[in-house]
Amino acid sequence: VTPRRTHPLSPLIQAAPAVPAAAVFLIGPGSGLLSRGGLPAIGLAIAGAIAAYAAFVAVAWILWWRRTYWIDSDGDLRLDSGLLHRSARRLQLSRLQSVDIVAPVLARLFGLVEVRVEVAGAGDSRIVLRYLARPEADALRAQVLGMARQRESDAPEGDPAIPLAQAPAGRLMAGLLLRSVTAALLVATAALLVVTVLAQGPAGLILVIVTGGLPILSVATEFLANHGFRVDRTAQGLRIRRGLLSTQTRTIPPDRVHAIAIVSPLLWRRWDWVRVTLTIAGVEADQARPDVLIPVAPREEALRLIGEVLPGLDIDALPFESAPPRARWRAPWSWRFLACAITPEVIAARSGRITRTVSIALHAHVQSVRVTQGPWERRLSLASLHADTAPGPVAVVARHLALDEIDDLAAREVEQMRRARLTPWR
Amino acid sequence: VSVSPRLATARRITLLLAYAVVVLGGVLVALSPLATAWLLVYVGLAAGVLVWSWWIIGRRVRSFGYTERDDDLLVVSGILVRRLVIVPYGRMQMVDLTAGPIDRWLGISTVQLHTAAATTDATIPGLLPAEAAALRDRLAARGEQRNSGL
Repeated sequence: VTPRRTHPLSPLIQAAPAVPAAAVFLIGPGSGLLSRGGLPAIGLAIAGAIAAYAAFVAVAWILWWRRTYWIDSDGDLRLDSGLLHRSARRLQLSRLQSVDIVAPVLARLFGLVEVRVEVAGAGDSRIVLRYLARPEADALRAQVLGMARQRESDAPEGDPAIPLAQAPAGRLMAGLLLRSVTAALLVATAALLVVTVLAQGPAGLILVIVTGGLPILSVATEFLANHGFRVDRTAQGLRIRRGLLSTQTRTIPPDRVHAIAIVSPLLWRRWDWVRVTLTIAGVEADQARPDVLIPVAPREEALRLIGEVLPGLDIDALPFESAPPRARWRAPWSWRFLACAITPEVIAARSGRITRTVSIALHAHVQSVRVTQGPWERRLSLASLHADTAPGPVAVVARHLALDEIDDLAAREVEQMRRARLTPWR
Repeated sequence: VSVSPRLATARRITLLLAYAVVVLGGVLVALSPLATAWLLVYVGLAAGVLVWSWWIIGRRVRSFGYTERDDDLLVVSGILVRRLVIVPYGRMQMVDLTAGPIDRWLGISTVQLHTAAATTDATIPGLLPAEAAALRDRLAARGEQRNSGL
């Protein structure tokens, strides 16, 4: 097996984002210097720039040369890199989690793609190869998947995968566009455009770029990441597949789910759509793709999915205790919706007015209970109850409930936590 | 059980150290060609904040407290925002005992509890070393007895 290298153009493409910054630097302070220094300074500056560029290219090229990857005889993917600080990374392909092929715009112009290989494990357990030519990347992907399957022969392969839910592209797009913040920004953009046209001044345009660009960017990335979202039930748990440019597959073992949240933005409620996110123990959710069970789905479908994860949980029958009317002085918009419920299995909290959220944590996985009371809450004799769980996207917080009720809830929650620890549920 | 009043001394020393910067700022104001009125305003503000912080530190320190119950540890703190943290012994992952230079000089230390949740904020500052060590050992022992991990 011979070590291979990434494509020779890679360093240049990776350095490309720095070009505008360098240009701005050269044009800005550089020009001032030149006008003062005259011809010798210009010559010096150009010589300096060329020297710096040459040095940069040399370093980048040596780094590229020292960066090699190969699949060794043990079936491990290995990556050696570094000049002064050599590093050798080794991924066991038998524990493969996902192989993603990502094509950033700039690299795509040259027909190059980025390959990300991820294995199960804590921390940074992946190798990112940027960039490879498309055919080479496909070959590597096939080889890696082949290796993984070979090693996995003891695991039941081809077990029946029962499709549970998907997010059709149209619904996904509509849902993303109608998320509260996105929709508000888009409306603001339209309004600003009208104002700009009427006033015939360029002032509004900059704002338009910000208010219009941000939501379009976020919608586009989320759409690409969640395109073709589908959930299947397999023997190991729920399997989630998603992505347009890069396909990502993740299996969620139900007993690792610590908390879930059901989110319904204002404009989704007309169709009764919800989004469901999860906190899964031991999985570092990275910012670009938080742990989503379903990005957008009708409520019944979402509830059925949740039933797969937490069997025997009836979300519509949770005994919610609401915040008292005096909470309106602290939360004038959302006080009607604030509530908390404790059942023998879970603690649940509702919050939000524009975007409504129901967060649910299992007693068996709640780590600690916190009661907080801000100055306003003390005036109104209110308090908030936090149920701390493993790090993840879900935060279970019952806000602004009556103080005596909070005391009671906290005591009950502590009691339930003890019981859940002694007798593991499920 | 409340914490040692030495914690207030420690925090006040830190406050005074921070005030070295403030005094430096005062010197700058005095040197710069600004009216004396500004200098008076500056000194007045600085002195006012110092007195207020001095007083609030005392109250904050008195607000810290903890109770060991049969199955869990209670920690209360805060005056403006009041907090109560309940950590079951079985959920503790580790117990930290720390003491900075000023703390060591005054003979106090801080016990901090960690669970699997990053948001758990159970810190008990200002314990006498003997008390802190004893608390840590008791907590560790109970944690072991009741440990159920995740």
